[in-house]
Amino acid sequence: MVTTLIRRIIQAGFVILAMTVIVFLGVNVIGNPVDILINPDLNQAERLRVIENLGLDRPLWQQYLSFLHGLTEGNFGNSFVYSKPALDVILERLPATLELALCAMVIAIVVGLPLGLYAGLYPNRVSSRVIMTGSILGFSLPTFWVGLMLILLFAVQLGWLPSNGRGETAMLFGVRWSFLTWDGLSHLLLPALNLALFKTSLILRLTRAGVQEVIMQDYVKFARAKGLRENRIILVHILKNLMIPVVTIIGLEFGSLIAFSIVTESIFGWPGMGKLIIDSINLLDRPVIVAYLMMMVVLFVSLNFIIDVCYTLLDPRVRLDGKG
Amino acid sequence: MTRRNFHASVIALIAAGAIPASAQEPTLSIGMAAPITSLDPHEDSNSPNNATSRHIWDSLINRGGLAENKPQLATEWEVVDDTHWRFKLREGVTFHDGSSFDAEDVVVSLIRARDKESQAFASYTRNIADVTAEDDHTVVVETTVPDPMILNSLSRIRIISSEFADAPVSDFENGPAAVGTGPFKLVSYTPGDRIELERNEDYFAGPADWSRVTLRLVPDDGGRLASLLAGDLDLIENLPAEGVARVESNDDLKIIRGQSTRLVYLGMDVSRDQTPFATAKDGSPLDSNPFKDARVRKALLMAMNREAIVDRVMQKNGTVAHQFVAEGFFGHSGEVEEVGYDPEAAKALLAEAGYPDGFALTIHGPSGRYVNDSEVLQAAGQMFSRIGIDTKVEVMPWSVYSGKYSDGEYSLFLGSWGVNTGEVSNPALALVAARNADKGTGRYNGGGIDVPAINELLDQATSTLDEETREPLLQNVSAATFNDVWLLPMHYENVVLGAKNGIEFKPRGDKYTLAYEVHKAGE
Repeated sequence: MVTTLIRRIIQAGFVILAMTVIVFLGVNVIGNPVDILINPDLNQAERLRVIENLGLDRPLWQQYLSFLHGLTEGNFGNSFVYSKPALDVILERLPATLELALCAMVIAIVVGLPLGLYAGLYPNRVSSRVIMTGSILGFSLPTFWVGLMLILLFAVQLGWLPSNGRGETAMLFGVRWSFLTWDGLSHLLLPALNLALFKTSLILRLTRAGVQEVIMQDYVKFARAKGLRENRIILVHILKNLMIPVVTIIGLEFGSLIAFSIVTESIFGWPGMGKLIIDSINLLDRPVIVAYLMMMVVLFVSLNFIIDVCYTLLDPRVRLDGKG
Repeated sequence: MTRRNFHASVIALIAAGAIPASAQEPTLSIGMAAPITSLDPHEDSNSPNNATSRHIWDSLINRGGLAENKPQLATEWEVVDDTHWRFKLREGVTFHDGSSFDAEDVVVSLIRARDKESQAFASYTRNIADVTAEDDHTVVVETTVPDPMILNSLSRIRIISSEFADAPVSDFENGPAAVGTGPFKLVSYTPGDRIELERNEDYFAGPADWSRVTLRLVPDDGGRLASLLAGDLDLIENLPAEGVARVESNDDLKIIRGQSTRLVYLGMDVSRDQTPFATAKDGSPLDSNPFKDARVRKALLMAMNREAIVDRVMQKNGTVAHQFVAEGFFGHSGEVEEVGYDPEAAKALLAEAGYPDGFALTIHGPSGRYVNDSEVLQAAGQMFSRIGIDTKVEVMPWSVYSGKYSDGEYSLFLGSWGVNTGEVSNPALALVAARNADKGTGRYNGGGIDVPAINELLDQATSTLDEETREPLLQNVSAATFNDVWLLPMHYENVVLGAKNGIEFKPRGDKYTLAYEVHKAGE
């Protein structure tokens, strides 16, 4: 397990390195950050001073090398826009995104898994058909539209929930969280529902497909023949065996919830990282873009590792270090 | 006390506490359309930052809605000589932390803004040679050259407490250094989400109408509109065009409109002998650059139905422009001929200039930078086509476009300038003065305009302190620019806000939404 972990870390290192090169080149291809960042009222001499101050007067390869040098000291550079360390800018937004993603994932699992199980076990019931049809809607309705409809219905028409923003927060571990206050929770509900809709449908359909495959297996029939209780068959023999694809999807989707919930964050004015990265790309704020993408590479690599560990727990035949 | 009595008294207590509180403590939530980048008032100069900092800090000079200079922390001022100005400071003013305001704070703030590494305020501080305190309530500002814009510049620089001269950006955002003399005190700032403020009861100009103000940062148009409709926000900036009907049909809401100083214009390449994006209709190069001929430029202006563009494309969120600034602003000229929509006369002018069949043209512009920018450009392109100029429209993101248009890569391009001084020398120096790196003029003169008469007038205007001599000079700059059609003026963007009925606010030329200037109706 340890060797696998080390191997993964080395791989991630290479991915990160490649990505920093791409971002450095890419940002320069899009345009010159100077044209966007600098106050148009400045004269040429003042511009030069700012450019020098941002370190943009040097050739690209020098900028890249000094960036790598800073990296060895854990310094990602200062954001061009916010005049603060890029990492601080991102970490400020991380809790908001994290709690939104977690909340959405919990909703998706709590709703999607049981419904999928039900629809798989009793495929011919009318209720199962209704669930499956509903899941098609969940798949195909665009997020931004559902988000606006949720706001129109619950905030504008009914006035039950706030339309926008993060609401009141409370401190825990030195970080502000919304889910600790009623006001914060009420702000969290709509965006979390909106994000969860697609994921719920995904998990639901995956679970149902898994159930229908597993239920035909000999060991399930054998368990039935032995006269095991139905609950035990479902929980131990069916559920555990269909979890591998589901866990894979949950892990990857959780990553994408954290990294790419841009649409929902914009519509609900949620001050998370997704909004930040889009703004940073528009403003060519290279330090923030680089730091953000590096974090995301680390995130996905570690999520994949956690998924692999889960495999070994679910299926003893899977070994991390072996060939299996 | 019986249990029943206890309950009753608790309810009574709650009621007693709650009802007067809501009656006495009016709160205001404003939806800002653009996020701020920093709460340090000297770190970065852009509209959202500067509007936000005005809630917490004051300047020496108070900029009015028409960019007029009024007393704020300075009560009066005088010109000592060409390069020295003396300011009398207001007495008895205290900062939010209780310390008193004096000349030292002014000295520290102006020098801090000038010497900050980010150089964000350089355009306002570049002429400040030194600031000295004569006594506790008098300062003298020495300028490097005679600077007629110094009052305007000083209205831009917020005065912080001298104690925080070396405070880093984070101290301003987390609170300890965010201490000003302004109408509101900072309660908290959540990046990307909100700024919470409470009233400064001791504000020298009288306390604000609102005991608590929340500035919500909601850049998403749909989200901002929904929050207004849901009643979560009392006032929103940049009401999106698609929301106009919904707000109008709602009995509890209203639209507040006003004119801003942001001019949208079309620039043309008037310097090269052959311009890259204008060709004959078969694609072969033209003998000469058509935009060098004033008749062609005027024909283009006549070809555009700008009333219709403002009315339909801009959904009334703009006002037709004829020169740099609208009437009432410094340097507006009565001599500028207002060119109307006349496609027949435009065709005749084109024929007279030697293009009876027109030519082919590609025009360029940004998308998503200004209000309906790409739609405006497309409408203009169609109107050019109607007088025989086959026009193709290319738009691109601002990050790609911004460097290219100012460097003169295009033949005809859309540009815009927020006239943040509210007078003509600011746009004229950037857009039509000849490019000169030493003087810092013509930085956004993407068409290569170089008219000796205009350069000469601007040279005089920028070194004249006397307002009465300066004004006719700038008026002549306006007339010389627009009567020879060196730029095609399109429109001024309007300030459009959505508000609850109980709210009164007079929009400002600089588009700032200042809670101190928002009032409750009928008070």
